[in-house]
Amino acid sequence: MVYDLRHADTRLRWLVTCLLGTFGVAYLFGAWMVGLYAGFTPRSVAATYRGPKMPMHMPPETTVVVEHAVTLGELAEPAHTVDRDLLVQDTHVHIPMYGVIAAALSAVVLGLALPSWAGFGLITLLFAAPWLDFAGMWLTKLVAPGFALVTLAGGWAMGLGYGIVTALAMWQMWTPKKGVAG
Amino acid sequence: MISKFLAAMAVAAVLHITPTVVLVQRPDAVKALLPGAEAFFAREVHLSNTDAHRLHEAVDWSPEDGVLTFYTGKTADRVAGALVFVRVDTPHGPVEVAVGFTPAGAIGGVVVTKATVETKPWVLEALRAGLVDGYKGLKPGSTPAGAAALKDRIGALPAYMAGQLDKGVARALLAYGTFYRGAKT
Repeated sequence: MVYDLRHADTRLRWLVTCLLGTFGVAYLFGAWMVGLYAGFTPRSVAATYRGPKMPMHMPPETTVVVEHAVTLGELAEPAHTVDRDLLVQDTHVHIPMYGVIAAALSAVVLGLALPSWAGFGLITLLFAAPWLDFAGMWLTKLVAPGFALVTLAGGWAMGLGYGIVTALAMWQMWTPKKGVAG
Repeated sequence: MISKFLAAMAVAAVLHITPTVVLVQRPDAVKALLPGAEAFFAREVHLSNTDAHRLHEAVDWSPEDGVLTFYTGKTADRVAGALVFVRVDTPHGPVEVAVGFTPAGAIGGVVVTKATVETKPWVLEALRAGLVDGYKGLKPGSTPAGAAALKDRIGALPAYMAGQLDKGVARALLAYGTFYRGAKT
């Protein structure tokens, strides 16, 4: 294949470096945001996506009024949870973007000197990670809290995929090659 | 091809609703709108299908799980007032207003409790122009017109958000008039 980042024009290697750097910043802030809103443990992720166990709402025959005492503390904001509607919106917005990011990282993979099986594996990992992430969120919401582990696996897989691609690309693009002038 | 891709990216970015920003914590809004209250009570109105439909038809609003929650503040045995939180979903994300009512049944104050990263500056501009002052004294049956009153003094987007906040206050007025003052516990 002609496309080989090890021997590519310096401008292309710089473009790939900037792209990976930008994704890296985005991932760091992504991790920060996950820490703020969902956490990194199965329990906290399950609590975020499963939500409180609510009985199915059945409207009464006639309007019913119930009054009870509350404290100001009870009026404070409840912990952040993602309801079904918000998850629909999140999925709609994020899946295309994750697809574009996975495609961009896969384009970098294609320019690396790797055995074919490793290339297939990395590209599969890059696309599988967001699928796992969102499949885990939906399964946690609809099936069982234990599927929070799938979301966590997806998130770590995203970081792993990015880390491998970045490390390989930086190594192959910028380390001096024997017999090649800088 | 590339331009189509960029256009799709731009659309995705535009459709991405920015995160919610808490402008005033709910307990602080309650303290501001029910001054002096020492005890608080939540009055949950579980709407029947008919009443929920009526509310939706009148002000395009369906409270979460079909339950309207009013908070009443009391000082000793005297009612200090009541308030209700109302969420308005806009294309730029949700805003939430807390609308407080005096014991006489008029609006005593309005506090905007939530906006989004995108709408916060527009909401703040409308508030700085005195939006909520125009709501004071309104009673059920009246129509909030804060946006119209400010339209020549603020930008288009703050005026748009003022219109959304008018909608929230209108919902509160109808809900309070129909299901708080009109209901029996």
